[in-house]
Amino acid sequence: MARVGAISRHDMEVRRYPILVYGLIPLTALVLQAWLPRVVGRYAWFDLPLVVTVYFALGRRSPIQGTLMGAVLGLFEDALTGHAIGINGIAKTVCGFLAASVGIRVDVENSAIRIVLNFALSLLSSSIYLFVYRFLLGLSLEWSWMTQLYIAIGNSVIAFFVFPLLDRLQLRD
Amino acid sequence: MESFFARYRNYLVLLTILVAQMIGLAVQVRRTGSGRNTLGMQDGEGVRLIRLWATALVSPPERFIHSSRLLVLGLWQNYFDLRRTHAENQQLQQTIDRLRLEQAALLEDAKEGQRLESLMGFQQKYLYATQAAQVFGTGGSNLSRVFYIDKGSADKLERDMAVITPDGIVGKVREVFRHSAQVLAINDQNSGAGVILETTRIRGILRGNADGRLQIVDLLADKRIQPGEKVLTAGGDQIFPRGLPVGEVEKVVPDPDRDGFIEIMVKPAAHLDRLDEVLVITSMQPRFSPQEQNDLATSETLKGAEAAALDEQRKASTIMAERLPGLTDPNAPPKPVDPNAPQPSLLVVAPAKPLKPIHPDRFSPGAAPDAPTAAAAGDKPKAQAEKTSAPVSRTASQADSTAGSQPASGQSASQPDSEPKPQRNP
Repeated sequence: MARVGAISRHDMEVRRYPILVYGLIPLTALVLQAWLPRVVGRYAWFDLPLVVTVYFALGRRSPIQGTLMGAVLGLFEDALTGHAIGINGIAKTVCGFLAASVGIRVDVENSAIRIVLNFALSLLSSSIYLFVYRFLLGLSLEWSWMTQLYIAIGNSVIAFFVFPLLDRLQLRD
Repeated sequence: MESFFARYRNYLVLLTILVAQMIGLAVQVRRTGSGRNTLGMQDGEGVRLIRLWATALVSPPERFIHSSRLLVLGLWQNYFDLRRTHAENQQLQQTIDRLRLEQAALLEDAKEGQRLESLMGFQQKYLYATQAAQVFGTGGSNLSRVFYIDKGSADKLERDMAVITPDGIVGKVREVFRHSAQVLAINDQNSGAGVILETTRIRGILRGNADGRLQIVDLLADKRIQPGEKVLTAGGDQIFPRGLPVGEVEKVVPDPDRDGFIEIMVKPAAHLDRLDEVLVITSMQPRFSPQEQNDLATSETLKGAEAAALDEQRKASTIMAERLPGLTDPNAPPKPVDPNAPQPSLLVVAPAKPLKPIHPDRFSPGAAPDAPTAAAAGDKPKAQAEKTSAPVSRTASQADSTAGSQPASGQSASQPDSEPKPQRNP
């Protein structure tokens, strides 16, 4: 019964956006992620590409689309850093897939759920990053869980304010 | 089969993308000789292409935002804060507002001029060729401290060039594109620079930690290291020139992983979080100012004149030696040539030997005793005469002892000190 309900919600509540939004919002997230640390310095505790990935994955409710968006944004984010390309890609691929999978089953209109999801997926993304870097690749990396906690909180705060704004961009019948 | 793919389509897509990225990662990681995994120092073509795409996509809007911010800030400072005053008393303050506006603009120009002047002054004072560049973006990750500058291969930038500010070193160029370059900051975990403590002269390796702070690692505990000591580049890494300021010792903490080792936390001299303009050292060849070049040319000219004068002097000596036959003994037997003997230099003039006198007396050359004896006797003729009549004397014993220190083949003719100096031309 719950599955039937979920499927019907999935069919009825898939959000649609203008085609430009799919290109401009992720690009804006990448640009701001690269530029804002120049303004806020070491207090750049956010991961905007992850926030955007989670938003579209929750809204579209399509694991494949969430996976692809997470992979593309993660790869571009890696390309801008000095690290190997693919670490953020793997982390955000998994996060996009999970967000879309959860979005099928929960009410994504609820702000509290979206914020909690952002917080949890941020920590998960950091954990996957650490796992891939240290254990999969065998590279040495100093790690600060406190910083990752700040980033997760930052993502949640940003999601709280930005998700309602992005909701206004969706197409309505 | 079709239903299998339809049913597990999502998982299959996820798996495919994950495996593809893992393969891509495996290609980028290399194993060193010590058995440790590391990222390649230079990206492969495929990886570099992806970085190029990302930079080409992100850099233009990033630069636009950066320029817009500067523009807005300028407008805010120069116009909007004056507008309120303008509204309060538009009629009476019109002239003053205009002057204030101009003054603000001039002040801004002056500040910028001073800043650029100091930068240019440093650039000119600096001994190496540098290229000024502006920072317009970062890598966007706390785990990777990189930033982007608006100069690239079109401005002759290359990988591994040092990036500095007048305050201290900043990083090194990691990747170069056409009109931009990626710089790896010194507080990145993968960064490394050879440094030396100014007073204790202890060398170490500088790198960043997880929090983006600088630390010198792999150091044995040393009580001489105190907070406040200056840290300079050591110059051994072939990237940073020697003696550039890095920062100062903030605190010394024990290495948590190894007993007896310490880590030095360094406060950077440059403001790594707020970089605007930087200098890229494009050439390590010394570059001198026109004044210094002039001094060098003068020095070279003087050296040439001195060498010419010495040459002239040498020629004159040779001519004199040829034209003065009295300085050589035509009757002297030819000396046996020793093949092992060092070849005399052209500058060394052979010691002259006087001609035989027609009427020899006791003062004539050759009538004097051996050089050591003469030297011991104080070159007194009387002592020489006495020596010939008294075979055993104190002077003779001294002479023997002195002669013992001389070479056995030390003939008077071959010892300039023992020879009477030719005073005139015979």
